[in-house]
Amino acid sequence: MNEDLQQQLVKELVVESLEGLDTFDQEILAFEHGDETPDTWNNAFRIIHTIKGSSGCIGFPKVESVAHVGESLLSVLRDGHRPADSNIASSLLQYSDALREMMRSIEQTGNEGAADHADLVQNLQALQAGISGAAAPEKPTFGFFGDENTEANQPVTPPASAPQPGAVVKEAPKPSAADSAIRVDVGQIDRLMNLVGELVLARNQIVQATGHLGDPGLLTAVQRVNLITSELQESVMKTRMQPIGNVWSKFPRIIRDLCHELGKDVALVLEGNETELDRTIIEAIKDPMTHLIRNAIDHGIETPDARIAAGKPAQGRLVLRAFHEGGQVNIEISDDGKGIDAARVVEKALQRGLVSPEQAGRMSHREQLDLVFLPGLSTADIVTNVSGRGVGMDVVRTNIEKIGGNVNLDSEPGHGAVIRIKIPLTLAIIPALVVNCGDDRFAIPAASLVELVRIEGDQVARSLEHIHEAPVYRLRGDLLPLVDLAKELGITARRHVEDTLFLVVLQAEGRQFGLVVDNIQDTEEIVVKPLAREMKGLGVYAGATIMGDGKVALILDVVGLARRAALLEESSRHASRESAKQTCAAEGAEESRSLLLARVGRNRIAIPLSCIARLEEIPLSRIENAGHSEVIQYRGRIMSVVRLSAVLGIEGESFGSGAPDCERLMPLVVCALEKDNFGVIVDSIEDIVEEQIRIEAREGQRGILGSAIVRQKVTDLLDVRELARIAV
Amino acid sequence: MQFCTFYLGSDLFGVPVLQVQEVVRQHEITQVPLAPAVVRGLINLRGNIVSTVDMRRVLRMEPLADASGSINVITRVAGGLVSLLVDHIGDVIDAPEDRFEPVPSVLAGEIRQVISRVCKLPGNLLMILNPDRIVEFDRSKITAAE
Amino acid sequence: MAKTVITVDDSSAIRMMISFTLRTAGHEVIQAADGLDALNQLKTRGVDLVITDVHMPQMDGIELTRRLRGLPIHKSTPILLLTTESDPAMKAKGKEAGATGWLVKPFQQDQLLAVVAKVFAR
Repeated sequence: MNEDLQQQLVKELVVESLEGLDTFDQEILAFEHGDETPDTWNNAFRIIHTIKGSSGCIGFPKVESVAHVGESLLSVLRDGHRPADSNIASSLLQYSDALREMMRSIEQTGNEGAADHADLVQNLQALQAGISGAAAPEKPTFGFFGDENTEANQPVTPPASAPQPGAVVKEAPKPSAADSAIRVDVGQIDRLMNLVGELVLARNQIVQATGHLGDPGLLTAVQRVNLITSELQESVMKTRMQPIGNVWSKFPRIIRDLCHELGKDVALVLEGNETELDRTIIEAIKDPMTHLIRNAIDHGIETPDARIAAGKPAQGRLVLRAFHEGGQVNIEISDDGKGIDAARVVEKALQRGLVSPEQAGRMSHREQLDLVFLPGLSTADIVTNVSGRGVGMDVVRTNIEKIGGNVNLDSEPGHGAVIRIKIPLTLAIIPALVVNCGDDRFAIPAASLVELVRIEGDQVARSLEHIHEAPVYRLRGDLLPLVDLAKELGITARRHVEDTLFLVVLQAEGRQFGLVVDNIQDTEEIVVKPLAREMKGLGVYAGATIMGDGKVALILDVVGLARRAALLEESSRHASRESAKQTCAAEGAEESRSLLLARVGRNRIAIPLSCIARLEEIPLSRIENAGHSEVIQYRGRIMSVVRLSAVLGIEGESFGSGAPDCERLMPLVVCALEKDNFGVIVDSIEDIVEEQIRIEAREGQRGILGSAIVRQKVTDLLDVRELARIAV
Repeated sequence: MQFCTFYLGSDLFGVPVLQVQEVVRQHEITQVPLAPAVVRGLINLRGNIVSTVDMRRVLRMEPLADASGSINVITRVAGGLVSLLVDHIGDVIDAPEDRFEPVPSVLAGEIRQVISRVCKLPGNLLMILNPDRIVEFDRSKITAAE
Repeated sequence: MAKTVITVDDSSAIRMMISFTLRTAGHEVIQAADGLDALNQLKTRGVDLVITDVHMPQMDGIELTRRLRGLPIHKSTPILLLTTESDPAMKAKGKEAGATGWLVKPFQQDQLLAVVAKVFAR
């Protein structure tokens, strides 16, 4: 046999055997969980039988003879001559490891390795002969050095004389799943992917270059190329996708072994096995996930005794969830163990000088827990003791960030922890919206796109507001924070269309914001090319692409952009809350405020805009009673409402629920004060103004701070604080 | 050792010829807002997106009045490729080992950062660049593109 | 007769398990999370048995064995190495370092007790 062929055969043997051993493990685990089927032992037998046969043929006698011993035992089990038990299962799993070790050795060095696994072999033979008995197996699990006579150190005769349980049963070849699939070298698939990527670029260029030509024949042909390219792209991408279950399949075994080693009992729940990921992502997350699981079991989940003492069921739960959302793959690992105490993490970080006391003081709970990912802290004593052999949480984070994802941790002491991993589906080709800003073009991944808003002329002034200097836009009642792309990037905006504002409403980590751009172009499919390392650090670009005209365009990182602007966003929200607290409570002198003007009966009322969360309309009939208050069901919760007309003792349209027109829609001003929302019902809304007003305090009027002249009319300024008290 | 050489003004610089993939004329460049000032932008090199570093900016030289003739020297570095934007190309020079010297201390700081050594040629001093050093952008050095 | 045993392992779960098991049998158990820690504790006191994991961050079990054998009070202290597989190479190193014996993880509580009893019987 020539060398090349030999090499290929060996490679094939190794791959096939390792896959078989994984399936073998699953069968044994199924038995251990009481889930075995009539086929379980049959399958297990066949796998070992195949390994024996192929390794024998290719020239690995050691593997062959070790496989032979297992095969014999499995044959006995398969025929039902001996019932299996947990001892046998454990031994078989160890056996699987031994075979795996040999295969790895073959893979790396070309030969079967020095270990002869004599003790294992002997154990299996003993099991087969039915000698295995009590809870403590007789296999030599310990020994003393220098004691050549102990059982453990005695050389074992080769198993050539193992009793043959009869001829190997020849099975009718069943058409297995293996027949309808072929093995393709991964490099080939990658090459295909690149070619398709280039094809998409070329197609884009053709589409652009021929767009204006009128030739119908040409146009039809271009359309066909278009369609075919898209389909081809999808098909090739599919070949690289694998279900995450492929990675997860190894975990039951790992967990079982860990539990045995550490004396714990953990049930593993897997949700979303079928969630598909690109190959490269799967490769990259294998190790981080394994580490996180080991961590959860080693440090998170307590021993059965400790759990019972803590009032928890003896068996711990480890849940792995995978699902697609927002163009990303989400993986969650949660356990119901003892959790992580943020205070202790901070303590350790302070001790190691990784963070200063001032910094620590300013951190939120999330940020404190996040310290766990710092190098230098991760392999240290976070929960109870030194963990992990060299692989720490910082390495986990680095590996995940390398593929463009992120990972964070949430935990409550006593209630376990949740680790959330998000990875973009970086299939190289995505639909994106092209926008202009200044002299440049940018692409925004369509996955983050919520909607497009075009604001014209005077509408701009009306719907654009400022809450403590941060611009917001009122979009159907919701306040949308705005990010000016030109400002963020430090470039000069070039408004393409006079008097018009273009807003791209984007979604980042569950929050929406509006991106102000100069102009909006089309959506197209683009090939995502990675940026140089240095650029990645800027945080606002997810990559770059080559447009139809051959020029490079940058792809915006929506989350990065939001974060960057969030320095404003966060502080503006904080500031707006602060100012809300002040405005709502204060009687000011001359101050410029944003006010909502409303009518109740004949009175004009003003409510500080900063206290207002939303404007709604509801029919009076929706008002229900709860105790002494009036409430409505609002967005799944029960919210108190106040009829201003009732509070102020004014006859208004909203006065009394017996009003003739109960179905008539009345404006509801949803006010937010600190944590609780409550609703204020007025007769009508007049306007939103920004005015400098002078309040004259008025005593004795419940719910009113004072009066002022707003737009030449006497207006009562609402005491939102007091109203809140009345409402709740 | 052979070097691909180029000029910035009248100063001569070189990069090991094995590290240079190709030399191309000016390409349409896309600027990268927020990138360090030395990064002129990105170019499309047959489907590859390559960053272009303006060597004049690296060496704190005055920009050219007319830079349309500048050349891109496409160089291999640790992370992939980078394009060095230079005034014009010189010859491929075979520099004898015995003519190499350590970087003279009289050279300004910016130059010293990116030069690994110099070679005394008859009539000129050839400064050997270390391209990897050029692309080491520190977060702290990130300023808006000028 | 009550003996003192030190369990050296970077996994607190294992230390707990060993500690619990041996204390039920009436022995006194002290703990160390790592070889260096153990060495520091044992410099000034004797024990009747050292049960140590092999793979630990700062100082591994083999090195610990070697260092202990260099101290007069621990010239003949029984030392058991805990390992996750019967690794002949590791066993050879352990033997050379002067360990008394080895025990394969995972082990059951009664196995541990049996081995410890055997050690004390020698």
